[in-house]
Amino acid sequence: MGQKTPQIYSVELNGAKDMKQTDKGDDKDKYRGLWSTCLELRKNHHKEHVTKEIDLDDHKLSNKELENKYHTNIVTGLSSTQAAELLARDGPNALSPPQETPEIIKFLKQMVGGFSILLWVGAILCWIAYGIQFSNDKSSSLDNVYLGTVLALVVILTGIFAYYQEAKSTNIMASFSKMIPQQALVIRDSEKKIIPAEQLVVGDIVEIKGGDQIPADIRLLFAQGCKVDNSSLTGESEPQPRSCEFTHDNPLETKNIGFYSTTCLEVSISPVGTATGMVINTGDRTIIGHIASLASGVGNEKTPIATEIEHFVHIVAGVAISIGVLFFIIAVSMKYRVLDSIIFLIGIIVANVPEGLLATVTVTLSLTAKRMAKKNCLVKNLEAVETLGSTSIICSDKTGTLTQNRMTVAHLWFDNQIFMADTSEDHFKQTFDQSSGTWASLSKIITLCNRAEFRPGQERVPIMKRVVVGDASETALLKFSEVVLGDVMEIRKRNHKVAEIPFNSTNKFQLSIHKTDDPTDKRFLMVMKGAPEKILEKCSTIMVNGQEQPLDQSTAEAFYTAYMELGGLGERVLGFCHLYLSADEFPETYSFDVDAMNFPMSNLCFVGLLSMIDPPRSTVPDAITKCRSAGIKVIMVTGDHPITAKAIAKSVGIISANSETVEDIAKRLNIAVEQVNKQDAKAVVVTGMELKDMSEDQLDEVLTSYPEIVFARTSPQQKLIIVEGCQRQDAVVAVTGDGVNDSPALKKADIGIAMGIAGSDAAKNAADMVLLDDNFASIVTGVEEGRLIFDNLKKTIAYTLTKNIAELCPFLIYIIVGVPLPLGTITILFIDLGTDIVPSIALAYEKAESDIMNRKPRHKKKDRLVNKPLAVYSYLHIGLMQSLGAFLVYFTVYAQEGFRPSTLINLRVEWEKDFVNNLEDSYGQEWTRYQRKYLEWTGYTAFFIGIMIQQIADLIIRKTRKNSIFQQGLFRNKVIWVGIASQIIIALILSYGLGSITALNFTMLRPQYWFVAVPHAFLIWVYDEVRKLFIRLYPGSWWDKNMYY
Amino acid sequence: MRRQLRSRRAPVFPHSYRYRLDDQDEVNQNYLADEEEEAEEEARVMVVHNLEEEEEEDEVKEEEEKNEEEGQGQPTSNTWWRKLQIMNEYLWDPEKRMSLARTGLILVIYFFFYASLAAVITLCMYTLFLTIGPYMPTFTERVKPPGVMIRPFAHSLNFNFNVSEPDTWQHYVISLNGFLQGYNDSLQEEMNIDCPPGQYFIQDGNEDEDKKACQFKRSFLKNCSGLEDPTFGYSTGQPCILLKMNRIVGFRPELGDPVKVSCKVQRGDENDIRSINYYPESASFDLRYYPYYGKMTHVNYTSPLVAMHFTDVVKNQAVPVQCQLKGKGIINDVINDRFVGRIIFTLNIET
Repeated sequence: MGQKTPQIYSVELNGAKDMKQTDKGDDKDKYRGLWSTCLELRKNHHKEHVTKEIDLDDHKLSNKELENKYHTNIVTGLSSTQAAELLARDGPNALSPPQETPEIIKFLKQMVGGFSILLWVGAILCWIAYGIQFSNDKSSSLDNVYLGTVLALVVILTGIFAYYQEAKSTNIMASFSKMIPQQALVIRDSEKKIIPAEQLVVGDIVEIKGGDQIPADIRLLFAQGCKVDNSSLTGESEPQPRSCEFTHDNPLETKNIGFYSTTCLEVSISPVGTATGMVINTGDRTIIGHIASLASGVGNEKTPIATEIEHFVHIVAGVAISIGVLFFIIAVSMKYRVLDSIIFLIGIIVANVPEGLLATVTVTLSLTAKRMAKKNCLVKNLEAVETLGSTSIICSDKTGTLTQNRMTVAHLWFDNQIFMADTSEDHFKQTFDQSSGTWASLSKIITLCNRAEFRPGQERVPIMKRVVVGDASETALLKFSEVVLGDVMEIRKRNHKVAEIPFNSTNKFQLSIHKTDDPTDKRFLMVMKGAPEKILEKCSTIMVNGQEQPLDQSTAEAFYTAYMELGGLGERVLGFCHLYLSADEFPETYSFDVDAMNFPMSNLCFVGLLSMIDPPRSTVPDAITKCRSAGIKVIMVTGDHPITAKAIAKSVGIISANSETVEDIAKRLNIAVEQVNKQDAKAVVVTGMELKDMSEDQLDEVLTSYPEIVFARTSPQQKLIIVEGCQRQDAVVAVTGDGVNDSPALKKADIGIAMGIAGSDAAKNAADMVLLDDNFASIVTGVEEGRLIFDNLKKTIAYTLTKNIAELCPFLIYIIVGVPLPLGTITILFIDLGTDIVPSIALAYEKAESDIMNRKPRHKKKDRLVNKPLAVYSYLHIGLMQSLGAFLVYFTVYAQEGFRPSTLINLRVEWEKDFVNNLEDSYGQEWTRYQRKYLEWTGYTAFFIGIMIQQIADLIIRKTRKNSIFQQGLFRNKVIWVGIASQIIIALILSYGLGSITALNFTMLRPQYWFVAVPHAFLIWVYDEVRKLFIRLYPGSWWDKNMYY
Repeated sequence: MRRQLRSRRAPVFPHSYRYRLDDQDEVNQNYLADEEEEAEEEARVMVVHNLEEEEEEDEVKEEEEKNEEEGQGQPTSNTWWRKLQIMNEYLWDPEKRMSLARTGLILVIYFFFYASLAAVITLCMYTLFLTIGPYMPTFTERVKPPGVMIRPFAHSLNFNFNVSEPDTWQHYVISLNGFLQGYNDSLQEEMNIDCPPGQYFIQDGNEDEDKKACQFKRSFLKNCSGLEDPTFGYSTGQPCILLKMNRIVGFRPELGDPVKVSCKVQRGDENDIRSINYYPESASFDLRYYPYYGKMTHVNYTSPLVAMHFTDVVKNQAVPVQCQLKGKGIINDVINDRFVGRIIFTLNIET
């Protein structure tokens, strides 16, 4: 990492010219921001802080200087040719998607991943064996070449299949992100044009309306009453005012810069209704672009299921290789030829490797992914399906995920009483008392002192879903009054507005003066809303039951109590007052001057308080309870104020009703915070400020010692620190996020969940999963699916592993005892890739045995997918029983055809001699080589049928791991029966349909042989029922520990 | 544990914030300003932090290295001791009050499991043996139609020899002689009975009764019996080759139509073989040798033979010969099996 490299990573927002300069410059200070972050990301993975420092001076320049710098004209814009040149130079104005692995690499990865290597080794050994045979004897049979080719084909086909599945799920995402092409209104060649936002270049003059997404980083040239939502960039949910004045040295704070991908919420209607800006950075050079590129610096963690599958592959490959090598040595020391020993080795490898399993797992995962997509969880990465199931900590956003992302009126206070408003998603039932005269006044203020408006043409849309132009609070008030009073616009029309002072942060109030709708009343009505204490200052009277009363000490106290109470609920409180201006002093023609304030600003009449909150989604508390019973810790991470955060946390149950924070205890006991015994507190609210001062150890301690944690006022960057803290506890962490700044945390998390509606593209790119409805409850259903799939994968693997022993034993017996080969390699492939595929997928449809949401999340390192009991039980119990059953079929066939078991022993050498065409059997009959071969294939078929019949029993027993099959219901999962039918049909076709095609080594089998293994199948079933019975009877016993997988 | 730890330590973080009412308002309106300060502060802290951290890191590394060195330097007895403890625990775990018993228990359980499995398989095999008789195979369809073998046979179906060099054909003669020992007239007369030709030799009675066998004397083979010409014609370039049909329990050729043997050039000039003498002259397997009752009861059964005497074959040239069986119930054109009902061999007689 040389001194020169940093430039690429630094956020350089000086514009194109300066860019060139800094390329040469060595001013280290300039890069300390992002570059040091990147450096750190690489150097020290435990301490990643994503901060930013941006050098940008466009906000300091005057309009003229800007024109010169970008060779543009504010009025006429760029010329088309200029724009085309710049576009060619800078590229399109779009974030370059994260570097994708080339398709061919992905494909090749599928070809060599998992068991593929083993099978390749098998195939190559086959060809080598043929090579040796060929060099000895030119006419040697091509069997080994075929086998090698078949093995290679198997690898390639399963590879293609897995690749296809992977590609399919990626495509869903791709289509998802390209749904809405963004448009921009740009001035070029003195004309206004609408072009795709991708074609914007620096120097373009763009116009932005309220509700538009800002199409690039722009320097505002003209803007009035403009507000932007920077939440995707900074995480702050409050609307930010924007104007064309230079207000701050820091480009992020100055008001005359608008950032790419943020949303312009409103622009004041008069005089033009649009804001004009000059594009100063496009595409990846925008601030968002730089932050998005940071995400790629954060390592992507391996998903738990990938680790599990790797672990499983290691186990199986370990077994295959060690048995293979062991028997290679045994074979060689038994004086077999090396060539034969190699062929044995191939057989052992093929028998041990469950060729179809990885494809099955992929299908299973994608089936679940589909099911989850229906429940609004769109999974980008198939493996993430399971990750969600093993999640032990969810770091959730508040806004939009836990809440409805919509300010809603929650409480009202008038007539010395607090009234509750309905905050549910549709809120039609307003139950407070509307008869009071105070309410009439209050409702008038709410309606009139409001600049928000519905977008036209939404008459049929339910009020709560209508789009509003205006900020969140005003929207809430507008909708509230529309619901309660009816047509607000009509009321406003009747009460003509004559003057208005919009809200600003210095005044902290909003005021408007109206003519009244009462034709007899010539007075003007002045209505005002704002910060309650500011409003109260201006009042001398208060309205109670419709009557004005002097504001005395006791009413003021009542006001403060109410204010405290509502504030304590984490709600945003607004005060409302009004004043009828006397007709004498202010005649109808009076001209109000809002700058000179030629109207009274004191001795107003206080009417009431109204508090708003972004209410929790109604499904969330249930979901949180579910999480709690599922042992998942839900941590709220929000940029909001601690009080609000805590209130929401309490109302959704993240902080449960009876737990207290240290501060709560202090307040209750009336002692200092420091005196409180911290062990008594179950919950904690940590602010971003505190988090910044914490060391890693302290954070760890907070995370481990409090079951209920809320992080408030955190910046999105701190999310990453929190995620890392959780991961240090060995937790599987799910993180939700929507902003670009969340993308490093999303990437770092074991499973990043992006919001489908509110989420930015960068967040969606970094995430593993997209929540289509932004609803926290959807995560919980996802967790349920994920847990189920883990259980069902266990069953699938147990089912698949079992027959490996039944496939392996023939080889071992063949080598050691010298019987004719009971099961051919090709036949094994027909089991693994033929009869067993559908049943093992069918297990994915199995319902949960017990309430999976009532147990702890699995421990990443302890609860393995393939654990010892599973392997031992599958291999040494059921597998062995299965091979015995299959051998019985094999011996039956041979004995009935003339070769009794005693004759078979050590017959192998004579049996396989091509020139021995009169081999004597137990009855003195003489067999030609081909007749023997045909009998051998009949043996393969018999063994195959034997395994198949017992696999049916295996399939049925694998439906449950603990419960009896009869508890689970034998017929509840219909797919299982489809699987069984497929097994039988495939076997029938192989035996009878293809009986004449000898290349596949299947022959017609007498029907009675199909039933030889049936008693064994029943034996397996009974044995497993006994196992389950003991597990249920003696939980925690030796049996439970060793037999429950 | 954790709790103790926590209480011993200094407060985890300052619980310093107090919520005031107007604070609430600030949240709403002045959030930006706070953020700004925080961001700046953060950035400042970051820079200093970075430098410090790098230094710290180096120090830590050094320390780690030191530790490692120390660790290596320490006597290994500690680890040995630990291993011993683990072993000890394995043998006798005081907490669970279990000793080797655990392994013992596993062994016992597995012993019983496998013992019962063995019992099951034994039972199954026993049942299997009950269903199949020891005298007659249950099915014979895989071994039918009969295959064919020739003698002399020495791993190869190519007869290459030089008439003038006895070494090249001597082994054929030895092989034939050896093979025909069982057909010696004296032996046959002593062991077997002379049964009437041209009809099946059916022996009713219980399955387990010993069956008698018909004589097939060496002398039936006349010139190929080796009695008159002990070199079986090899010394004169007129080799004898014996053909034997594979035994199949219960196989019966068509009544009145015994299985015949006929040989001809397989590929090439038909006239490469100008004459073949068959012994017995009928070139057929007499019906009296059928049926075969299996080796348990039909102990002395002697497979009938047909000898082919290639009296005039083109010399110094490989002649592919195909000998086929002919008769009802005989198939001699299976593509995959070149030994069912036929046999192909080459004669290359050099002079």
